[in-house]
Amino acid sequence: MLRNYLPIIMMMAVAALFGVVMGKINEFIGPKRPSEEKQSTYESGMEPIRTARERFSVKFYMVAMLFIVFDIEVVFLYPWAVSYKHLGVAGFATMFVFIAILLIGYFYVWKKGALEWD
Amino acid sequence: MNLYYTDLITNSPLLTLTATGLLLILIESTKSTRTRLTFGVGIVGLAVTGVLACFHLTPEQSTFNGMMNAGGYGSYFTIIFVLAAILTFLLSRSYLERMGNNKGEYYILIVFATVGMMLMASANDLIIVFLGIELMSICLYILVGFFRVKDRSNESSIKYFLLGAFATGFLLYGIALVYGTSGSTNLTVIARSFPTVSSNTMFIIGVALMVVAFSFKVAAVPFHMWAPDVYEGAPTPVTGFMATGAKAAAFAVFVVVFDRTLGFSGGKLNLVIAMIAAASMILGNVLAIAQTNVKRMLAYSSIAHAGYMLSGVAAANTEGQSGVLFYLIAYLFMNLGAFGIVGIMEGEDEKNLSIDDYAGLSTQRPVLAMLMAVFMFSLAGVPPFGGFFGKYYVFLAAVKANMTWLAVVGVLTSLVSAYYYLRLVVLMYFRDGKADVPMKPSFAAMVAVCVSALLILQLGLYPSAVVQLVQSFH
Amino acid sequence: MDLIEAFFKIVIVIGALITGAAVMVFLERKISAYIQNRIGPNRVGPRGWLQPIVDVVKLVMKEDIVPKSANRFIHDLAPILSISIALCTFAVIPFGNTIELFGRTVKLMIADVNIGMLYILALTSVGVYGITLAGWSSNSKYSLLGGLRSSAQLISYELSMGLSIIGVIMVAGTLRLDQVVVHQTRYLWGWLPAWNIFLQPVGFITFMVASFAETNRLPFDLPEAEPELVGGYHTEYSGMKFGLFFLSEYANMITSSALITTLFLGGWSIPFAENLALSPLTMSLLQVGSFVVKVFVVLMFYIVVRWTIPRFRYDQLMNLGWKVMLPLAIANILLTGGLLLALN
Repeated sequence: MLRNYLPIIMMMAVAALFGVVMGKINEFIGPKRPSEEKQSTYESGMEPIRTARERFSVKFYMVAMLFIVFDIEVVFLYPWAVSYKHLGVAGFATMFVFIAILLIGYFYVWKKGALEWD
Repeated sequence: MNLYYTDLITNSPLLTLTATGLLLILIESTKSTRTRLTFGVGIVGLAVTGVLACFHLTPEQSTFNGMMNAGGYGSYFTIIFVLAAILTFLLSRSYLERMGNNKGEYYILIVFATVGMMLMASANDLIIVFLGIELMSICLYILVGFFRVKDRSNESSIKYFLLGAFATGFLLYGIALVYGTSGSTNLTVIARSFPTVSSNTMFIIGVALMVVAFSFKVAAVPFHMWAPDVYEGAPTPVTGFMATGAKAAAFAVFVVVFDRTLGFSGGKLNLVIAMIAAASMILGNVLAIAQTNVKRMLAYSSIAHAGYMLSGVAAANTEGQSGVLFYLIAYLFMNLGAFGIVGIMEGEDEKNLSIDDYAGLSTQRPVLAMLMAVFMFSLAGVPPFGGFFGKYYVFLAAVKANMTWLAVVGVLTSLVSAYYYLRLVVLMYFRDGKADVPMKPSFAAMVAVCVSALLILQLGLYPSAVVQLVQSFH
Repeated sequence: MDLIEAFFKIVIVIGALITGAAVMVFLERKISAYIQNRIGPNRVGPRGWLQPIVDVVKLVMKEDIVPKSANRFIHDLAPILSISIALCTFAVIPFGNTIELFGRTVKLMIADVNIGMLYILALTSVGVYGITLAGWSSNSKYSLLGGLRSSAQLISYELSMGLSIIGVIMVAGTLRLDQVVVHQTRYLWGWLPAWNIFLQPVGFITFMVASFAETNRLPFDLPEAEPELVGGYHTEYSGMKFGLFFLSEYANMITSSALITTLFLGGWSIPFAENLALSPLTMSLLQVGSFVVKVFVVLMFYIVVRWTIPRFRYDQLMNLGWKVMLPLAIANILLTGGLLLALN
């Protein structure tokens, strides 16, 4: 059972090795001529103003939160979908209620303007 | 796969209220400017839920493959929660209008918090307990910070959220350890395997972590730190709702998990809870004396009351259980009533929250003063009111469980508490002052406090009806 | 023995993916040139075919420039994460049925796990990190904004992607991708291959659109919208670290195409080929060939779309994701459920 996953781990190892080698290769092969200008942050030729890590729009947080809600829904749907053909009408009705509850929340979020980007 | 139609019918109160909440969300999304419809539909939904619960006061039955218990005990608590929610609805409307923040989401959150409480009370599985606690807590976190332009409301919301999340962590670790040692999250199975695992260290640690989490939710010493700040910063009706509904829900779980599942066989656990109870009674009452803010005073008083009720849990006998159940319903009316009057009195910008502001209230608003006096007497445990019998039953249970010292602590601290409760009465009746109530209290709010006062009187004069009902759950 | 076999498959697949990505880069430049009435790269090698190799050599020889204010470790980690995830996703995609080699029956997929689709979905989620971390660690405003936009876009479309797969799962009743393919070897009414594109047309469209967004391709390439964000999340990257992002973008493209092929276009199956009475080995090779051809067609579609359709505005992108794709995908699930009930 778990043996089936060994190839995946091997593949991850090979892929990571490839990534590390390729990501680090410039440090060994490439030239090293650092200068103050070269190592400053790019800001269209200007002197960088303040740090970039400041507050950003709350909308990104909204998207992230909504994503979590709906992603959990998706995860719930997977096992249901696999055995759907055995569940019959009851399975459909149950999941219909589940989705309906979620859609009510979705409707609310939509109407309250959380999905608007302007 | 079955649909468990009978389970759906026996759990109809829960489903009704959930459907009400969803309907409210739909209403709120379509008509966002007016809250009257939300308010009305919410009240009707709560009332229907309460009536359905009254019909389900039959003996308990296991539903949804043993995940939940329907009827009996859960229905009794449902009635408590629904009453708390309805009273909060009535008290909130004029309060929110006065504070200029009357939004429909407020009522939706209260409805969903109530659903969470109902889940907690009818749970027969630790997962459902967790689900209920989270549903309730998340709604309360938002409700506490509902006045988001006010610093104090924000502060208390964040404080409550951070500490609450911490408590949730404790609860989950506790559940995990109990599950790991006993092999199930189902309370019936845990109760069956209790004799074999009760000496297992991991199991004991798990139970201890759960005690911590539940103690946090009922605001018992030493996990009470959040209560005064949060109670002070939250909108006053929400404070009342938290102090009664949320506390009752936490006690419902306390009784289910510790008395019914673990209680009757473990001696040490009862001692731990007894010590928490004693500490809460002493600390809550003593610190309440020093308070000058009414909401803070009531917050400390609610810590003390958590202590009284915990002594009933610690006794772990049938008297203790029914004592807690009786206490909770009496406490619901007296505390929510007291917070209701505080809410009626409160003006914008936190005016009228100092105890001194109540001086001379009897001359200006005799009805309000009288009702407040009733609530204070009942909280202090003076005989003709419901609070007295609540204390009587839990202390009696403690004595029967050979914990006389706990009862003694309880009685002594009750005497201490009389000082600060009666101080308010003295201020209202025997001091001159210019207590100025901001405006004429709204009809709904007056109905809520009057009904509360009447029911306290009813519970004090005829406790037997409720006591018999409560005893029938064993 | 199994593991040695798996190792060979891994090396072949990774090699094919990287080569494929390099070829795709070249083809993209060539095709875009023809679409825009130019000639495109034609100097290195015959008709410019050696261009990808020269590109890589150039990138490798570059200096690795990291801004002083950047977080060095995460700055290094981000491209490595991106490429590893992009390569690993292929582990559960069957690129053929089985093949008889040296007396062994070799299954032509790297890991035959029973939760193949969950694995893909999980890795897609992790893939977001590479871009987010790259944007954040550079400590540059363009990078940060690009990274943020990109993560918001990726997670938004991941929902519709996950939801549109569910219809396929309901039809196939399994999470194994090889079973999904086997399920598509049947025929409807005796003449139409039961490919999911016919059974799940709505799911196919939503999945296709979502995978365009997931691979950051035009018309959804806002994370690196050049006029506004310079280079997006990889503004501060140079040398092969930049190359890795580039490579992973194309590797992701190939993987998505393979996924679309597997889920909706019948995977390695060749309709009516079983009537030809071919030898098993020929059949297996033909099936691999069919898989490659289908993937290639989808890839060409990707490229043509990129060079013919203008870019969305960001609000349009999010509106499409949340207000069109998501309801559509959910409606598809309910519709599929109802139809399956009615048919049984």
